[in-house]
Amino acid sequence: MDRWELRRQDYSLDSDQEDVREAFSEFFAKESPSSVVRAAEPLGYDAALWEKLVGMGVTTMSLPAALGGDDATLVELVLVAEELGRNASPVPLISHVVSVRLLAAVGADRAVLDAAAAGLPPVALALAPLTGTSPALVPDAAIANDVIALSGEELVLFRSAEPAPFIANHGSTPLGRWDPAAASGRIVLASGPAAVSAFERALGDWKLLTAAALIGLTQIALDTAVEFAKTRETMGVPIGSLQGVAFPLADVAIGVTGARNLIWRAAWMSEYEPQARPELIAMAYANAARVATRGTTTSAHMQGGLGFTIEADASLYFLRAKGWSVLAGDPNLDLVGIGAGLVVAAG
Amino acid sequence: MDFSVLQLTAEQEQFAKEVQAFLDDIVTDEVHERELETGDGFSATVHLALGERGWLYPTWPVEHGGAGLDAVSARILDLELHRRQVPDITAGTTALVWSAVERYLDSAEVDTMRLDVARGHVRFCLGYTEPDGGSDIAAAKVRAVRDGDEWVLNGSKIFTTGAQSCQYTFLITRTDPTLPKHKGMTMFLVPLDAPGVEIQGIRAFSGERTNIVYYSDARISDKFRLGAVNAGWAVLHGPLDAEHSIGGEESGLDDISVGRSFLRVLERALDAAVDWTAAAVRPDGTKVADDRSALQRIGRVATDLEAGIRTPGPLGRVAGSEALVRGSADLVDLVGIEALVSLGDRAGSELGAVEYGHRFAQGTATYGGTVEVFRNIISQHVLGLPQMNYPGRKVFLAPGRSDAMAAAR
Ligand SMILES: Cc1cc2nc3c(=O)[nH]c(=O)nc-3n(C[C@H](O)[C@H](O)[C@H](O)COP(=O)(O)OP(=O)(O)OC[C@H]3O[C@@H](n4cnc5c(N)ncnc54)[C@H](O)[C@@H]3O)c2cc1C
Repeated sequence: MDRWELRRQDYSLDSDQEDVREAFSEFFAKESPSSVVRAAEPLGYDAALWEKLVGMGVTTMSLPAALGGDDATLVELVLVAEELGRNASPVPLISHVVSVRLLAAVGADRAVLDAAAAGLPPVALALAPLTGTSPALVPDAAIANDVIALSGEELVLFRSAEPAPFIANHGSTPLGRWDPAAASGRIVLASGPAAVSAFERALGDWKLLTAAALIGLTQIALDTAVEFAKTRETMGVPIGSLQGVAFPLADVAIGVTGARNLIWRAAWMSEYEPQARPELIAMAYANAARVATRGTTTSAHMQGGLGFTIEADASLYFLRAKGWSVLAGDPNLDLVGIGAGLVVAAG
Repeated sequence: MDFSVLQLTAEQEQFAKEVQAFLDDIVTDEVHERELETGDGFSATVHLALGERGWLYPTWPVEHGGAGLDAVSARILDLELHRRQVPDITAGTTALVWSAVERYLDSAEVDTMRLDVARGHVRFCLGYTEPDGGSDIAAAKVRAVRDGDEWVLNGSKIFTTGAQSCQYTFLITRTDPTLPKHKGMTMFLVPLDAPGVEIQGIRAFSGERTNIVYYSDARISDKFRLGAVNAGWAVLHGPLDAEHSIGGEESGLDDISVGRSFLRVLERALDAAVDWTAAAVRPDGTKVADDRSALQRIGRVATDLEAGIRTPGPLGRVAGSEALVRGSADLVDLVGIEALVSLGDRAGSELGAVEYGHRFAQGTATYGGTVEVFRNIISQHVLGLPQMNYPGRKVFLAPGRSDAMAAAR
């Protein structure tokens, strides 16, 4: 890697990007307050909300115009995902958008693509390659009839008449115990190295969007804790004036701000120069997972006993930080991959 | 949003070549050896040679001693100076102080001084910290007493880095101990060759040299006063806010993190550790490159580095310093006993960057305002948290920039 390459360092959003951000910020704030999030527990899916979101064009926005989309890039998608995270919205946006992009990328049959893009019901993606035909825990499979999975050397769209059985979980997401053997249909989307690389690209997209959602989640957790710290008093002073409270919150702000920029940069590079810094996605993801874990525990803790109760929104954020970030396995494995990539490049 | 590689014009390409050729000549091994030995953070030959080309203040107009460079060319030059590890501490403090000098010194004086600063003949250091404490700058005690057209200075400043290479120090003094502490201070540009000024070196374990400066009945002319008597706190704020990176503009070209220069030290250490890992075999015959715990460590440091580079402004100052402190310690552990061999005793091995990084890291958490002082700034100005009303609480923003000042009054 050339550390002295002369690159722009422009993190500003253009007016279209600002518009996307604002539109989804308003949408989620209005349609997905925490009462909606709670009402959707434990499944973590609000079908009516999802339908409204699909109506905003979110499932097609990143498709090429020729396929009926708006040519939105990963940069716009991470902006949307952050807004989703900021409201802990109970919708399968990330896996669905990633799946639709994947179908387009492998040149899936137009009828298959169009049905998926229509978004009802959503399509799920198995984040780990299948091992044999045994059932696996698959995110969003509890609300999806179609699941895309890498099976050996084949990328396959599995069709079932019913979603997989729901498994209650830490982050209240529609996790399903999905059984590939129970599928009634099987469409091979790609095979050989093309299948593997398409799957890996999709997994990368999923990690980026999940990283963005985690940062939105951590930001709202922080904002909530800061508001609490301004008004809650001890010994006659606001707790936020104590450094023992303020400094950990400052660290959360530092983490969130850097993580967001790292995600933006990874998204930009992934979109425009995917070969240049492939490790950025893993970095953005592993970093966001850690920032979210620390940030949401700190934010809950600074609200004392209340932050430990189900009634506190802090609990929503804390449980989802892990409940989202570990769906693709131990984020430390991404660090191993980053290290291995650097060492191979040096050797 | 744009992270693309800059497309240079033919002129800029040419300029980049000129920079290379010029720096090849002046940034010699001797310059680096001397820096290792002295820890000055300054090389007179390089500084003056850059000044001669107008490259100390490259975007200044030529008639002011600059080179009238466009922003891209200035960035080319800046990166190249960093790449070659040109000692730049004194260049940095001089630039910080100049904004206040230009604004507050008598204008005829400024006009004569400007060219000397640009050419590198006049240099400034920062005289804020005192032996009794540096975080609370407004508690400074060095006394300045008026005597006709002169001022008499008494007391001492510690950590006046670069004083041995400078002509003036930007000194904060106490002029009226009866006033509330922020209001009884006056700034001066003190000639370091004035009788009664004595500079004594101090070494940090990073190898950096700094100083304690004693003022014993040192007399200076009133023309070296910057701003009104007892208005020193406001004069200090321009350079202090710049050092804290409050209120800067983003160009889309420059690094956004105040901690970027710390992270360059981590980059060197990481690159050396990665090269080592690629080749190293442990005493039991296993390859380090096959050890997943080693790879995870590298992945963690590389990720913290990347996140630090992307963290803007004052937040990046904390992220950068702490990534370096943690990361360099981790890299020493990774490499093990070989990492302990001193930088100066290595003859050609790149691993010295790890050993040096671990020593250098510690100072970055302290100078320029400690990471705790920055967390106070972030708590107050980024998060908007209430500040405890300590007796003698300090404020960071210049008057008019926020209501923090009003609250402090
Ligand atoms: C290599 C080096 C070069 C330097 N160069 C210069 C220079 O050129 N000019 C100059 O004027 N100074 C310079 N300094 C001094 C530096 O700015 C001070 O060391 C720093 O501001 C801290 O002051 P102090 O050392 O007196 O520590 P103190 O202020 O006594 O602090 C001691 C500890 O208490 C913590 N602390 C203090 N106040 C607070 C608070 N309000 N909230 C929370 N924690 C707090 C600090 O973070 C620190 O950990 C340099 C220092 C070093 C090490």
